[in-house]
Amino acid sequence: MLKVDELSKNYGDLVAADKVSFESGKGTIFGLLGPNGAGKSTTINCISGLLQPTSGHASVAGHDVVSDGKAARQNLGVVPQELALYEDLPAVENLRFWGQAYGVKGSELDSRVSLVLDTIGLGDRAKDLPKEFSGGMKRRLNFGCGIVHKPPVILLDEPTVGVDPQSRARLFDMVEAERDAGACILYTTHYMEEAERLCDSLAIMDHGKVIAKGTVSELRAKLGARDVLQLNGTFPVDQTRHAIDALVERTDLDLDIITQEETTVTLTLSHASQHLPGIFEAVSGAGGNVAETSLRSPNLETLFLLLTGKELRE
Amino acid sequence: MDFALTSFRKDLARWRQDLLQVALWFSIPLTIGGLITLLMSGDGAQPHGVLLVADQDESFLSELVAGAYSSGDLGELISVEKTTVEEGMTRVNAGDASGLLIIPEGFGEAFLDDEPATLTLKTNPAQTILPGIITDVTEILLDAGFYAQQLFGEEIDTIQGMVGDTDDPNDVLVAAIAVDIQNKVETITPQLFPPVINVEIVEPPQSEPQTSFALLYLPGIILMAVMFSANGLASDFWAERDHGTLRRLVCSSGQLGSFVLGKAMAAAVVIGIIGGLTLLLGFLYHDLAWLKFPSSLTWVMLSGVALFAWFAALQMLFTNQKTASVISSMLLFPLLMAGGSFFPLSVLPDWIAAIGRAAPNGFVADRLTNEITQSGAWIIDVNSWLLVFAAAVSGLLICAWRLRSGFARA
Repeated sequence: MLKVDELSKNYGDLVAADKVSFESGKGTIFGLLGPNGAGKSTTINCISGLLQPTSGHASVAGHDVVSDGKAARQNLGVVPQELALYEDLPAVENLRFWGQAYGVKGSELDSRVSLVLDTIGLGDRAKDLPKEFSGGMKRRLNFGCGIVHKPPVILLDEPTVGVDPQSRARLFDMVEAERDAGACILYTTHYMEEAERLCDSLAIMDHGKVIAKGTVSELRAKLGARDVLQLNGTFPVDQTRHAIDALVERTDLDLDIITQEETTVTLTLSHASQHLPGIFEAVSGAGGNVAETSLRSPNLETLFLLLTGKELRE
Repeated sequence: MDFALTSFRKDLARWRQDLLQVALWFSIPLTIGGLITLLMSGDGAQPHGVLLVADQDESFLSELVAGAYSSGDLGELISVEKTTVEEGMTRVNAGDASGLLIIPEGFGEAFLDDEPATLTLKTNPAQTILPGIITDVTEILLDAGFYAQQLFGEEIDTIQGMVGDTDDPNDVLVAAIAVDIQNKVETITPQLFPPVINVEIVEPPQSEPQTSFALLYLPGIILMAVMFSANGLASDFWAERDHGTLRRLVCSSGQLGSFVLGKAMAAAVVIGIIGGLTLLLGFLYHDLAWLKFPSSLTWVMLSGVALFAWFAALQMLFTNQKTASVISSMLLFPLLMAGGSFFPLSVLPDWIAAIGRAAPNGFVADRLTNEITQSGAWIIDVNSWLLVFAAAVSGLLICAWRLRSGFARA
């Protein structure tokens, strides 16, 4: 349904998307996970036709987004990150307008609008103006406008930014309902929890590149059963490294140093809680002072940290 | 075309939610125009004042003097009321009259005897024009009295002697006085009324009835309303961009050209309503022939769409809405000035009017002036219609091009 092949977008010397490739089929949610500026929105904008790719290809339902753009867009529903609504037009008229923009008309339009109003839970507010809605209701209408023409491929660009927990849960339900109805969904987010909950498979992006790709379980497997231990405080760089190396050599510990700075040391190791006393002792012996410790079990965020050496939200 | 109608209905529904804005576009020019029209074309009422005369002499001559102020054309400006000195002073001080003329007892006799006599005139200081006229008339009367005494002193003496007699005047004597007076008048007529320069009066050929200033001003007012609304409607492209709907539109399969066409159709309706209402009021006020209304309204609507298209194209050239709005307004007001919205082109000096007619709104206003002031309807020439139509189409094409070339994607 959705295929992206070696897609790149350059702005002069800046490479916003660098040979991004992935594909996703009917009835699946594919996630693009990465921090702000990773290239997720650039990728999605190239697919939606807002941007012209510098190289590579993308196709929607078999239609190339550049050479057969209109047909590709006809099969695409876009839910942009920012609200894109006519605030001075009743909710039902917003849905009707966007349905008609895709050529839906007559009784089909009536039934689709009615169905979408129920789906997004705005049936009783259909004739009200969006400017009178809460932020969550606007988000739901924004989503509804993107799916009113029943597109086989839906692009959701960070749809939960600035949304309260209740509306977020409702949006998740709506996304899953579309997936269950057979839509292919591309979902970008920088929230690891969302990606883990919704996505069947995903690509992790950083600096415009896909740095890991697969199903959630495949990506977790890359971590093994290793925890991420982060120590904050003051650490003499060389002495601390020597002390940790000595500890590994002495105890045959399966431990890797991910990042090491004067104030932070990030380690990955199995069963980290059992080895905390030995690690603290080694660091203290090297002249370090641990002020704060955090221990995280394996998840996509720790994988991102492992792959890039930085937090997903940085 | 389906999507153009969709876009048209959408914008009409949105403007219906913003009737206050539409009302402002309509009412501001109407208020300005109404005020100027009232100032420039009042009902022509002349000032009228009251001259109080305290006639203490009550002679034939004093009656003659008092009557001189209200005779002929002066009577339309001044009414004469008899009063006493006390009451007259009170009324003048209270601002009730333009002046008080006191004719003292013995005035008539003193005049006939060629002796000094004093007329007292007190004017109302709160007024300027009418007391000035009264003063001038009084001075003229005094001069006339002096010359009458110089010319006809002998006859006046004779008449005075006759007035004192108890017998009826002798017919022969009266006839002799009349002949003397006639002879003197004939003698001095060449001096009083010297031969004047002969002026040949050439009647201009019969033309259209003269057009009132207020009627000449009407197209300017209509164009002001149209310009305000066209500029405001054009800024909706920026509003849509800010709301993200243009980005969403680019991602859809909806045609951008149809979208722009729909917007232009909605603009035509809004401008038609605003221009139509202004025209309607103008037609009612000036009692114009309704035959001209459809052609005038069509011209206003088509011109309005052209102005909308070009304002939109201009605004879409800039990188932010604030700049677009400032530049657009900076252009709007000079155009209104030049194009006859504040001063009708036909009353301006020729060279300024020529510049005004070259301005887009001046061009439209000039032809609208012809349409509503000349006899017949649909008199605007075909070339003008074609030119405005071409301007509308080219402006809309530029808008569609700007949407495609990045304006909507930002």
